[in-house]
Parts: sequence; C-alpha cells; structure tokens
Amino acid sequence: MIRAVLLLSALLAGDAAAAGLRVTVRDTRGAPVADAVVGLWPEDAGIAVPAAPPRRTLTVDQLDLQFAPYISVLRPGDHVVFRNSDRTRHHVYSFSPVKAFEFVLAPGESSAPIAIERDGVVAVGCNIHDRMIAYLYATRAPWSLRTDARGVAHIDGLAPGSYTVRTWQPRLRPGKPDIAQAGVVLSTGAPRELAVSLKLLPDARLQFDRERTRY
Amino acid sequence: MGFRFRLASFLVLSLVTVQVLTAVLVYSVTRTQLLREGERQLGSASVAFGRQLDDMSERVAGSVEVLALDFALRSAIAQRDQATLRSALANHGRRVGATRMQLVGVDGSVEADTLAGAGGRFAYADLLERSFERPSSAVVAWQGRAYWIVAVPVFAPDLVGVIAAMLPVDARLLARMQAQSVLPRNIELVALGRDGTVELARGPGASASLAGALAAGGRALPVQPRLVRAGGREYLAQAVSLKRSRASPPVVAILAYSVDEALQPYRSVALAWALLLSLGLAVGVLGAFLIARRVSRPVEQLAEAARRIEAGDYASTPAVGRRDEIGALASAFAGMADAIREREARILHQAEHDQVTGLPNRVAAEAQIERERRADVGGPAALLMVGLRGMPDIVRTLGHAVSDRLMHAAGERLRGVGGCEYVARATDTEFSVLLPGRGRHEAIACAYRIVDALAAPYQEGDLNLELAAAVGIALAPGHGEQAGDLLRRAGVGFISALDTEDAVVVYDPATDPHRPARLALMGELREALQRDRLELHYQPRLHLASNTIDGAEALVRWHHPTLGDVPPDDFIALAEETGNIRRLTRWALATGISQARKWRDSPQPLRVAINLSARDLDDAQLPRRIGELLALHGLSPDRIVLEVTESAVMARPDAALRILHRLADLGIDLSIDDFGVGQSSFAYLRQLPVRELKIDRVFVKRISDAAADRTIVRAIVELGHQLGLRVTAEGVEDASTLAFLADIGCDHAQGFFIARALPVAALETLLAERGAAARCSA
Repeated sequence: MIRAVLLLSALLAGDAAAAGLRVTVRDTRGAPVADAVVGLWPEDAGIAVPAAPPRRTLTVDQLDLQFAPYISVLRPGDHVVFRNSDRTRHHVYSFSPVKAFEFVLAPGESSAPIAIERDGVVAVGCNIHDRMIAYLYATRAPWSLRTDARGVAHIDGLAPGSYTVRTWQPRLRPGKPDIAQAGVVLSTGAPRELAVSLKLLPDARLQFDRERTRY
Repeated sequence: MGFRFRLASFLVLSLVTVQVLTAVLVYSVTRTQLLREGERQLGSASVAFGRQLDDMSERVAGSVEVLALDFALRSAIAQRDQATLRSALANHGRRVGATRMQLVGVDGSVEADTLAGAGGRFAYADLLERSFERPSSAVVAWQGRAYWIVAVPVFAPDLVGVIAAMLPVDARLLARMQAQSVLPRNIELVALGRDGTVELARGPGASASLAGALAAGGRALPVQPRLVRAGGREYLAQAVSLKRSRASPPVVAILAYSVDEALQPYRSVALAWALLLSLGLAVGVLGAFLIARRVSRPVEQLAEAARRIEAGDYASTPAVGRRDEIGALASAFAGMADAIREREARILHQAEHDQVTGLPNRVAAEAQIERERRADVGGPAALLMVGLRGMPDIVRTLGHAVSDRLMHAAGERLRGVGGCEYVARATDTEFSVLLPGRGRHEAIACAYRIVDALAAPYQEGDLNLELAAAVGIALAPGHGEQAGDLLRRAGVGFISALDTEDAVVVYDPATDPHRPARLALMGELREALQRDRLELHYQPRLHLASNTIDGAEALVRWHHPTLGDVPPDDFIALAEETGNIRRLTRWALATGISQARKWRDSPQPLRVAINLSARDLDDAQLPRRIGELLALHGLSPDRIVLEVTESAVMARPDAALRILHRLADLGIDLSIDDFGVGQSSFAYLRQLPVRELKIDRVFVKRISDAAADRTIVRAIVELGHQLGLRVTAEGVEDASTLAFLADIGCDHAQGFFIARALPVAALETLLAERGAAARCSA
C-alpha cells in the first residue's frame, strides 16, 4: 500500500529525470530474504521528502494461530488494533521497551487501538501459542520498502542523489542496530542495484517446532 | 640316573609340556579375544557415553526451555527484576541439578547469576553464540572440576537472552550414567591443559588415574583403544572428546576396561585347570613310576642275576614269568646261565683232569696236596712219584697213542692199589700218589705194592710190554710242606730210582743236585763277579824242549766267605746253567789279559791261556770284545791263548766255527781242550783254525802204567805235529810221564808234577826260584 502510494506520488510528480533503486537482500548463505524492511534516508538536503502521511490505525489479525501480517511497518504515532479471528483465545503481549502491553482476546474480539509513539521494533507474541509472533516496525524513514519472496525491493521516481539505506529484518541478531549503508548514490537511468547480505538467526516462529529443537 | 627315573621324568615332562603349552595357548587366545571384545565394547561405549551426555543435555535443555517460556520469568526478564530472576533461576536450577544458573543478555552480559551478582561478561562466548540458534551445551573445566553447561535461548517472544545452566560432571553423575548403560567401570574426565592433563572427575569404579599413563612421554591421548599400564594393572583405554567451549581447556573422557578384571572370570577356570593339571601330574607321575617299575624291576633283577653269574652263582636265574620282551630276555638269560654253568663245569673238569687217564692233573694234585697239608699242618704225609721205566723209549718206539693207552692202563692199576686214594697224573710219564697221614714205612710199603701192581705185563693186541715201575717218595713235613716242594722232591727221588736198580727211593736232600742252595750260590757268584771277589790262579806250562815255563792256564777260583773254596766245576756248571757264564768269561778275559800284559814285560814272559765256555761260542760280540781288551792293554794277540773244549765246538759247530775264525783272524792262538774224549771229528778238526791240541788228562795220567795210553798220546802228538799244531799234555803227575812226553816230542806239559794252579804272587815266586836254579845249574 505504501509502495502504491509512493509509486503514485512518483507518477504524479512526472519527474522524467527520476532515479530508481533495486535492493536484493540475501542471507549469508545466498538465500533470498523476504520480509526485510529497507528504509531510505536522503543524505542531500536538496532531496525532497514526501510529506508525512496522516496517522493511521493498522490492524494485525490473528488467524489460524498466526499473526497477519507478520511485519507491520508504521510511523510513530500510528495505532495498531489486534483482532482475534480464531476460535481460540490469544494472550497478546509485548515486553518491548518501545511499547509494552498485554491482554487476552477472546475469539472474534478486537483490542483497543494501541498507539505506537516511538520508532523501534515491537515484538508481539501470544503467551498461549508460542509460535505466534509479529513485529511492529515503527520508522521515520521517508521511504520504506519491503522485500518480496525473492528478496527484492524496488523503488522508482526518486530524486537523484545520495541516500542512506537501512535494512532490518526480524531475524537479525537482537540488540544490534539496523544494517546501514551510507552514500548510496542514485542517478537517473537504470535503477541502482544494491545487494544487501544479512546474517540471520533462525526464524523465531519455528523455534518451537519440535522437529527443529534439536541442537 | 636310573632307567626308571628317566622314563618317569620323560612321561611327566611331556605331560607338563603339553599342559603348559595348552595353557599358554588358551591364555593368549582368551586374552586376545578379550582385548578385541574390549576394543569393540570400548568403541560402542565411547559412542554411548557421548550420546548419553547428549540425551541428558537435551533433557536439561528441555527443562530449562520450559522455564524460559514461563511468562512470569519472561516478564521478570523484561522488567529486569533481579530478585525474581535469581530466585526463579535458582529454583529451576535445583530442579535440573544445576549448581549455577545464569541469564545472559544477547550482548553477552550476565544479567542474572545464582552464584554471583549481575554484571560482567558470560565466560563462554562461543557457546552463547551457538545457543542463539538453538540450545547448546559444552563441558568445561572450571575451578578444577568439570561442568557441563547447557545454554537455552529465551524468547519473549523475540530472543531476549540465554539461560545457562552449569551442572557438575562428578562421580555421582558418572555413576548414574554407568548405571543407565553399559559403560566401563573406569571413567575419568581430564582437562587438556598446556602443561598436560588435569584430572577433573573420576567415576566411582575407577581404580587408577589413566590419563597420566596414557599421556606419558608426551603422547596424544588415544582415539582408538590402547593398552596401558597404570597402578600395576593393565587397561584398555580410549579417550572421548566432549563438546567443548573455546573458553575452556578441552575436556576429555577416558573410558577404560581393566584387562585384569576382564580376566577375573577366567581365574577360577585357570585355578580349576591348575588343579586338574596337578591331579593329572600326580596320576601321571604315579602311573609313569608304576610302568617304569614294571619295566625296570625285571631288568634290575636280571642285572642282579648277571652279577651273581659273574660271581659264579648259576643256581638262581630270575623267573620273570612274563610274555613280553623282558620275559624273552629273562628266559634267554636263564638259558645262557645254564650253558655257562655246563661249559664252566666242563672247562673246570678239563682244567683239573688229564684227558688221557681221566685222573686229576698236576694242578689239581697240587691243590689237593695243599688242601690236605692245610688240614693237617705238621702231620705226616707221603707223596709218591710213580713212573714206568723206559717210558721215553716206549713213546719213541710205539708212538703216543700206545703210550697214552699204556698210561691210562697204568692209572687204572694205580687206582686199584689199596690205600692209593689221591692219584694224579703229575707229568707226561709220572703219576703222583698222595698218602695223607702216612709215615716213611707205610709209604715205602705202599710204594712196593704199586711196583708190584705195575709189574704185570701190558698187553694190547699182540703187543706185550714188560713193565717196571720206579717210585720216588717225599715225606712231609720233613721234605717240605708245600705241594711244589713235595712234588719236586718226590720227582728227584723218582729220577734217582730210575738211575739205580732200586725200585723205590726216598728223597735225600744231600744228593739233590737241584736243591735251592744252588740258587742262592748263583746269586752270590753274581755278586762276587760284580765285586771282583773271584780270583784267577795260573797253572804253569812247561815248554819241554827248553824246560822253561813259558805259559800258564788261567783258572777261576772262588773263595766263598762261608762255604770256603767252591769247586770250579760246581760254580762254572752253575753259571752255565743259569746263563751267567758269559759274564764269568768276560771277567776272566779282562783279568787274564790284564795279567798277560803285566807278564809281557817280565824277565820270563808268560802266555796266558783262558778257557772259553761252549756258551761263549754263541756270543757274536766276543771277538770284538777281546779285540777291544787287547787294544786297551796294548797287548799283542799272540800273548794269549783261548782254550775251547772239543764238545763245546761240536755242540754247535757252525756258529762256533764262525766265532773261532774271527778270533783266529785277530791273531789269537786257539787251543782244543780235553782233546780225545769228545766226539771229535777229524773233518772239523781240519777246518778249525786252532794252533794247539791239549790232550785230555785221562790219557796222560796213566801213561806210566798203560801201554795203550802211551800209544794214544804218541799218536795224538804225531797227528798234531802232522797237522801243524802244537800239542800240550795235561795232568802230568810224575817224572816218568814228563820224561815220556819229552821223549815223544810233546811241546808242552802241564800238571801237578810241574805245579798246581797258583796265585799270581806264588807263581812269580816259583818262576823266580826256577830262574835262580837254572842260573845255578848253568
């Protein structure tokens, strides 16, 4: 949706001299990494930044003992509502310093909107179902992209210039900052190809699969 | 070492050898098998040990994981609620048996610790790193002990940290592991430090520290089973590396089987074996001994029997009564003993009996006499020596066969004579008859009975022999106690009887020419020769033509210290019989030649005549010796004359001739002594290199009375002169004889009438007197 907005704005700008960026995220073994959030931060003061969108309320559904979506990218100030579409109860909690909460949702019940005031990562789990995990990624980056299943995130219509590219993924080692690449210069013409390699931990959602608990 | 012992020891030795070899073989096979089995077990035990540790890790991890999912704990973590965290960790640590629980943040800082305050870094960074992905474990050495750390990530729901549980790996844990699976009794954990191994823990069953022994000499710990000695025992050991953390020295588990313990079950087998061996040995020894005895006892009996046979006892040959080889040997032995007994009896009979007459022979007779004399020492006894007259003639005339039969018959007759118990054939022609306890008269009476018995003519076919017996008698104890003496003396008596008309002669010591005194005399003669105690007397020889004494015959004289003058005939005959005559001749030659040398330069030189014996004519050395003596004294050979009797030459004419020619070649005059009485042959006389004849005194002494003798003497003188020989007459005893001799032209005269044999001094005196008389008359 954001991408659509961005695309739209780019088209509307009708800037014939727009630049593009194509980020490919892979792990250390070369496998494409989906669900990586790529944030672009202009380094040049001259680069026009899109105006901040209005505050939104995002919904994180709980269906089939899964949070959906897995990752929600939002801006500080946005709200999040958790909705239980399962027939079981869910004990939704977060111990994140960005936003801590805890409540039980009966089937069909929705939570009150939760305001995310700061940027950062909020890991959300269910105390009943250990495998359920979702991330709320609050960022102030003017442009944010998400890699698809092929590990690719693509953006066009950027003003040429120098950018800092920050990449985050939930499986990055906790406690470490995002992977930042400064001085990524975009120019008109073919989109700039940028390869990002991430060292990732196993997917926390699978940690409790009995098949995988062997060490 | 006896046969029995050798046989027994051979059997026992082979038994022991086989048993020991089998034991060694079985031991080595068992040991090899045990080691191989031990290696296999050790391999699987190593795997099992690692797996067991993993299983326990997993259980602990599972348990810690449950803790990590506890909402309250997660909440406490999130809220940094130290007190709650520590109590929760301690509580859970007790549950899983951990002595230390730590909560480690993702950045590696210790956020809670049951043993110490929070803060600081978690020691095992690599373990932490691993545990982010999944629960991990490692065995570490800490404060000299082995700990096993299980690190489990905590998700809330994202990874927020790691709970590390430290469990001691100590004897108790090892014991539990041993109880749960088939692990070796010997387990120890060591840390591989830079300076060698440090023991961290040891299982309860471990008896010795093997790490030191295994790592001795800087060797690496064995990954494969290896034999090692420690604490005097042998182990099969293998090291198993445990999961490690880089922050700690590697910890290694050493698993080992004690070979000795593995062999323990076989000890009882070995003991039973040894017992069985001992029993078998005892039975074997006994059996071997019995068998050996069964073999050797009859052999020993046979050996004993052989010794008895050797000693002359043939009666008791062993009766073995067996059907085997030894039985055969025993019966052969008995047969041999019988054969020897028979043969010995026969030989003994032959040795003691005469074949012709069947009578005991002389040896047996001697033995018999000795026995009788010993039985009656000093008592009277007579020994008769009986023979037939003319027996040599009978043998020569009729042959041995007839004479044997005659002797046989004579023996039969002798045995028929009353009182003749002990008849034996003493010599070829004589019988001996022993009359124990009889004196002179009884013996003579018996002798005459024997003479009568033998006087009957002997008839054989148409042969009819008139027989006459002679008996010599020796009487004990007067004529001796010894069989030899009695036999000899009876024999002497017998010979006397043969020589006379008397049929029976009792031995008379006085007339015995063979009496032992003669032997003593011979010894004394030899001694006298050595000490130069003999003396030469010289009988002058008158040269008839010039009436001067120009020669002398040297005659040996022996003045015996006790017997006085011994007649020359006696001791010369004795010297001839006993082989001492050459010595006597040498002495006479040396003395006579020396004297002739002295007389050569005297006013009236005398030629010395020296007598040679018949035996001297065999002596090839004689001419050389005489030549040397002459040379020694510087005497010319014509100053001596050597006299040889006719009979001496005739005894062995060829040898005598050779010697005489050599003597003549030396230039010595030879003279025939005693001429006229021997069996002289003119043929030889012609060949003899003699220069002189000496007419025997037999003819000379009767010249005065007997015309025949005068004729003989005249004839000899003429014969001698015709042959170119000088002639000397011996035994001149009166003036008429001397006158006759001078008349017929005899060259020299010798005799009592002129002078008897005189010592040198007396002779020289005589010569001086005659010289003086001649000068006066002239």
